[in-house]
Amino acid sequence: MTANTFFEIFLIVDIFVIGALVATAAHHARAHYRPPAEPEPETKPIVEMAAGSERLPEDIKQRMLQESEVKFQNILNQSAAALQQDLRVTAQKIDSMVNRLATQIVTGELERYRTDLAQLHKQAEVDMSGIKKEVAGYQEQAKARIAQELQAEKLQLIKQIDTKLGDAVASFLTETLGHDIDLGSQSAYLVELLEQHKADFKAEVADDTQPAK
Amino acid sequence: MTPNLRNSILSPQDLKVLILEVRKYSQWFGQNAVKAKVTGSGYVGQPQVSPAAAEAINELAAKAPLSTKSLDELIASLEKLEASLPTIIITLAAPAPAGLKKTLVAWCRQNINPGVLVEFRFNSTILGGMVVGYGSHVFDWSFRRQILAARAKFPEALRNV
Repeated sequence: MTANTFFEIFLIVDIFVIGALVATAAHHARAHYRPPAEPEPETKPIVEMAAGSERLPEDIKQRMLQESEVKFQNILNQSAAALQQDLRVTAQKIDSMVNRLATQIVTGELERYRTDLAQLHKQAEVDMSGIKKEVAGYQEQAKARIAQELQAEKLQLIKQIDTKLGDAVASFLTETLGHDIDLGSQSAYLVELLEQHKADFKAEVADDTQPAK
Repeated sequence: MTPNLRNSILSPQDLKVLILEVRKYSQWFGQNAVKAKVTGSGYVGQPQVSPAAAEAINELAAKAPLSTKSLDELIASLEKLEASLPTIIITLAAPAPAGLKKTLVAWCRQNINPGVLVEFRFNSTILGGMVVGYGSHVFDWSFRRQILAARAKFPEALRNV
């Protein structure tokens, strides 16, 4: 939950509290300025006395008026004190409720934050595990490919060395043998060669000497 | 061709030399025959011929008295023989000695064709063995070819040493 949301909630609560205070104040004001419609039994004789106030002396009237003013002032002071007390208590309650609400909200938010964090942590672990597996797979593939390429390179080099070695040996033999040729010692070998390939040779000559049909 | 003559004619060159000698003898014989008819003198200045040519002429003379016509017929038959006989070319690593030539020709005539002619050449780069050519076909049985064909086996043989 963001700070704006919290502030909005705080404002709504404030409006609610102000409304409650206004309603309480209006109730007290109404109670003060509008006495109950049915007259109290005790006041009846006073009214009656008022009706017949022409008979009361002026100083008594004045004293009664002063007493009434004092009583009214006392009642007004008591009501104001009670209202003030109620207002203080209500404010304390509102403070308490706001604190509790804020605590609940903050706790909930923290809890949700922790949950989200834990979930993200788990997700990150899963992702990291997948990434590790992929990296391991790539490493294995790379190792296998490099090993294969090295093997191929090795075989290629061996083949090249073999070819060069074969060429060197062949050149050596041809150079060495070319200077010392003894046909006399080859006579039997030459006849043997002809004997070995006699069939092919004979067939070739026979095919060529045969008259065309 | 008699067996003796056949043994002395090994190659196409031998046959060509024989034909040239017989032709030369025929010219001499023709000129001397005319001279003898006109002057009554004998045959003089007989050219020296090879044993093969002498044998051929003697063989002809044994059948009938020599004449220009019979000699011309002999030359014609030899030329016909030259054109008809199969010719094998054998290339060796060195010039072939006479004995080896005879051996190889005898083998060819015994196993391939009785009238075959063998032309000998030499090429030292083949190292040994022989290269036999007949017509457009070449049988390369030389050492050089065998060495080159087996050069791939040398590294294997060296590894086994």
